[in-house]
Amino acid sequence: MEALVELVDIHKSFGGVRAVEGVNLNLYPGEVVAVLGHNGAGKSTLMKMLAGAYPIDSGETRIGGAKVHIRTPAEAQAHGIETIYQTLALADNLDAVANLFLGREKLTPWRTLDDHFMEVQARRVFSRLNKNFTNIRTPVRRLSGGQRQVVAISRAIYFNARILVMDEPCAALGPEETRMVGDLVRQLKAEGVGIFLISHDMPDVFALSDRLAVMKNGRMVGTYRTADVTEDEVLGMIIGGRQPPGKEQAFRPV
Amino acid sequence: MTGLLQGLRQSSVDWRLVLMGVVLAAMSVVFHVMSGGIFLGPENLYNIAQQTAVVGIVSTVMVLVIVARHIDLSVGSTMGFVGVLIAYLQYSAGWSWQASCLAGLAVALLVSVYQGGLTAVLGVPSFVVTLGGLMSFRGAAFLVADGKTQPVSDDFFVNLGGGYDGAIGVGPSWVLGGVLSALLVARMVLRRRARRQHAMEPEPLWLDALLTGGAIALVLGFVAVMSAYRISSKTEAQGIPVPVLIWGVVAAGLSFLVHRTRFGRYVFAIGGNPDAAALVGIPVRRVTLLLFALLGVLITVAAIVSVARLNAGTNSLGSGMELYVIAAAVIGGTALSGGSGSILGSVLGALIMQSLDSGMLLLDVPIGKRMVIIGQVLIVAVVFDVLYRRYIQES
Repeated sequence: MEALVELVDIHKSFGGVRAVEGVNLNLYPGEVVAVLGHNGAGKSTLMKMLAGAYPIDSGETRIGGAKVHIRTPAEAQAHGIETIYQTLALADNLDAVANLFLGREKLTPWRTLDDHFMEVQARRVFSRLNKNFTNIRTPVRRLSGGQRQVVAISRAIYFNARILVMDEPCAALGPEETRMVGDLVRQLKAEGVGIFLISHDMPDVFALSDRLAVMKNGRMVGTYRTADVTEDEVLGMIIGGRQPPGKEQAFRPV
Repeated sequence: MTGLLQGLRQSSVDWRLVLMGVVLAAMSVVFHVMSGGIFLGPENLYNIAQQTAVVGIVSTVMVLVIVARHIDLSVGSTMGFVGVLIAYLQYSAGWSWQASCLAGLAVALLVSVYQGGLTAVLGVPSFVVTLGGLMSFRGAAFLVADGKTQPVSDDFFVNLGGGYDGAIGVGPSWVLGGVLSALLVARMVLRRRARRQHAMEPEPLWLDALLTGGAIALVLGFVAVMSAYRISSKTEAQGIPVPVLIWGVVAAGLSFLVHRTRFGRYVFAIGGNPDAAALVGIPVRRVTLLLFALLGVLITVAAIVSVARLNAGTNSLGSGMELYVIAAAVIGGTALSGGSGSILGSVLGALIMQSLDSGMLLLDVPIGKRMVIIGQVLIVAVVFDVLYRRYIQES
């Protein structure tokens, strides 16, 4: 099986600060890889480079084995990479339909917005995640945290992500909605989507991920099968940057 | 009754615009009574409409600039610069009006892309860039013709500014009114049909009919008033003044941009959340540059109208106009924090300001008091805006 994503020797600095240094990471189809680390460990920066939000200083990105240069979010989207940001990246003054299609509006043959088409499609994808979500024409600032999350997640589903980056997808959610996200992750996995999951929540990580990669101070501490390590060992990697003794790293899925 | 109220509340009616319309109407009635029946007469309404056009034209696009979290303080100076240039090329250089207007457009685009470029590409705050522009381009307006007034005389050009022969006449006005009414009905019918085709419930018929009927009544009422005004030395009545026609076309065009095109949606998205706009792949710089270019185009249009109206280009053309333009946008409900505003609101905002000014002029209120009052009205509008947004939980 070929890797969906390979990040090879990635470097990134902001001014004099080395945010990401020589990081290697890969992702296979139908796999969930959790990316862990303290705030400022470089995990969000790494994922933002994959999403085209930051340019890569040096290193190589391969998608499906082919070398690619991702310079903008639009180019990332063209490679089937969708990102659900922790901030959700919603325009609060626009409604849920407009946000779902933001940047990728469906146009009529006269190059005007095809609002009716977009509303019907949006209704369908939202209801897949939350049956009770009907106020899709009010500005998203007036929606609940869970509904806003549904809008952000719907982007990834509607545009058929092959590679999904989820940055703290459950941070703002109640138990019901967290379960919904968990179900969705398992469903997408079954469809062969590869998922990078950034999370601080250990139960989530252990419940959802196949492998986990821990970063500290911009470097990769190690990549392991989730089933091979314990929560304490993971915390040791996050806090101390120590590789658990006697455990073998996993650079491929099982 | 409660069903009616609920229908109204859930509908897509913009209540704030309705309220502004009510304020404008109430103010007009008060002025009408106090002026002894002059204010709502055809002559006064004709003049107000014509006088508001220049500020109104620039206000429509200022709404979008503010929505995108920018500002342009240099609009008055740039308009003065471009206006004098157009007049200079016709009077002193002997160019045709078409050629001089195209040259004016080119210069306006250069100015706005320069300022927009500094803002969009380098990220210099537009407030600072255009504050410099406010000064520089007023100076440039002086330099073009050494401060000398440049008269213009081409008949067609002068009529673009309204005035004696600057209206389209009664017959064409009614034809235009009829066509517009037909378009409004067609729009309503098409929209209802499209919603049904997509298996969505359209708005209640009575509400759609009421809104469309109201809009048609406004259009036809406006045509009737403009057609009732006859300059005493002429045999024919005036009809719609050309500057108002231009303003109407501009406002309709920009509304179309806002509601029906990607560009309009991106401007609002950038204003609502610039980071999110960039993260979802919106070309923020390009949209910002385009927006400033659009501003340049409309500044040229406004410059042409105002030079034609004065029959001359002077170096003080458009002095202080930026304040009226921004005030019209703000009174019209555009939030200075970005992300919200409407073109129709700016039209109402500009009309409210001009009506207030004209009304007080009719009542012989001295200039000092007029300025004090108009300034405070702007503050009232912003206070209302803050409270309204808090009420509907926007902030």
